[in-house]
Amino acid sequence: MSTTTEQLTSDTSLGEIVHQTLDQPTRRQVASAGSDDSRDPIHRLQELSDGSPLRLLAASDGAVSALGRLGDTACVMFATDPRRKGGAMGADGCAEIVAAYNLAMRLDIPVVGVWQSGGARLAEGAFGLDAVGTVFAAMTKASGVVPQISIVLGPAAGGAAYGPALTDVVIVGPDARVFVTGPDIVTSVTGEAVDAEALGGPDVHAKSSGLSHIRAATHEEAFARAREVASLLANVKKSAAPTTPTRDIAELVPTNPRRAYDVRPIVDALLDVAPTELHREWAPNVVTSLGRLDGQPVGVIANNPIRMGGCLTAVASEKAARFVRLCDSFGIPLVVVVDVPGYLPGRKQEADGIVRRGAKLLHAFAAARVPRFTVITRKAYGGAYIAMNSKSLGASRVLAWPTAVVDVMGSEAAVAITRRRDIAELPEHSREAGIARFAAEHSQLAGGLDRAVQLGIVDDVIEPAQTRATLASLLATCTPTRSREKNIPL
Amino acid sequence: MLFVSIRSCLCCGEGNPVAEVRAEMTANVWKVLVKAGDTVADGDTLVILESMKMEIPVIAEEDGTITEVKVAEGDTINEDDVIAVIG
Repeated sequence: MSTTTEQLTSDTSLGEIVHQTLDQPTRRQVASAGSDDSRDPIHRLQELSDGSPLRLLAASDGAVSALGRLGDTACVMFATDPRRKGGAMGADGCAEIVAAYNLAMRLDIPVVGVWQSGGARLAEGAFGLDAVGTVFAAMTKASGVVPQISIVLGPAAGGAAYGPALTDVVIVGPDARVFVTGPDIVTSVTGEAVDAEALGGPDVHAKSSGLSHIRAATHEEAFARAREVASLLANVKKSAAPTTPTRDIAELVPTNPRRAYDVRPIVDALLDVAPTELHREWAPNVVTSLGRLDGQPVGVIANNPIRMGGCLTAVASEKAARFVRLCDSFGIPLVVVVDVPGYLPGRKQEADGIVRRGAKLLHAFAAARVPRFTVITRKAYGGAYIAMNSKSLGASRVLAWPTAVVDVMGSEAAVAITRRRDIAELPEHSREAGIARFAAEHSQLAGGLDRAVQLGIVDDVIEPAQTRATLASLLATCTPTRSREKNIPL
Repeated sequence: MLFVSIRSCLCCGEGNPVAEVRAEMTANVWKVLVKAGDTVADGDTLVILESMKMEIPVIAEEDGTITEVKVAEGDTINEDDVIAVIG
């Protein structure tokens, strides 16, 4: 790999040289060199790059690495070799992955890893463990600097499980089995009888653990989704020819504040084309999607009232916090669509860490440097109002629809506490009317949109139909910034 | 429109798997819209819960026949409680 690497990194116009290099036919170009074996790492990298030219960087005992393109995005990519010792990671393979990471850092381009590996090579003992550790260190050094995408196509145990887990986006194929250690060892050390799929199959990681950001039904789909994600994370400039949605966004939100609805059609209507939703099946009460709005890349976070009323839960807070950090790391502005009844209270949530994990979302937003815009569509209550990119946490701009409510809680719930003695003294027949009167007084004094605008915690009240155009204008005029914080896998 | 977790039970008869519709959160049962014997399709609302001042529909995620409804209007249910069984 040395000649190609040095030549590539000695010039200042690196991006251009990467593309030129890939277009020059050489012996290192391996566009048709892969075998038909679907486990062949070269074959997999060719599928990943959808047949575009690859420049082989190295092929060691255990892994293959190459420079190539995913769509228009130049990437460094590598694949473990499951044909050799189950893809187990030895010193040579690990050194190759570390070298691939170093090159990606120098070129400032994404790294995509294709995984199927039993983890550290047993025969290499502590030497192998040390080598796997150097891969983790390289991944962490690259975190927040260049986008990292992992595709898991088969068993990935131990080091091969934690490798993907350290990256920004993990895509699992139908045969992915990701675990600390496989079912045989589980049974021998603890007595638990479990099969590989129940232990670490796609269902486990898409729905329960949250390790998987995207579940793909086929290997082809996994590669296609990786190309999509690479484009969204790496190409943060405005792209041309957006499709203008025509759907009336207002009709998608019920006026009755008690009525649940699916927020995803609203997210779809705000964006140019169908977005890439991450963690679709995990903590579905908050939606996190990457997409483009009027050609500009955005990350959208939206409460989803059809699931758990759209409450923020412990897990949903963590999911959203990680997404904020992902977008902040790579300069992708955030659009936060708020309709939230609160943080979900209760014994289960407290035990799950609604306070500890909920704090992650507060921290993520308050620390984020990327432009971030909030749209309150219906209601924003209590601590969840603060957590959903409020002005107090540094939102760049907060928009609200005319009927939106911002308050500690609903006005009737509030007066049940603040006016409880007055309510108790009311005669039974006039109690309902009295509560309504107290609630109206409370709304005027403490809640209500006018008050929020007066306080400056809502910047603009906009008609629903203006939402997309207003956001497009804000995105076009905002100053692009990004954090240099690492994207720790929260 | 989803609010259910479905768990396939493999021990309830050959060729006749059942799905348990479970609660995702603690809630009051506001309306029960189906009864045992009803045929339901993916997307049908089975029950409407009330929690956090929200009316939250519980939706079938597959076609089938309701074999059992385990809640009644006015009940308080906890996370993971079985609401209905679809055969």
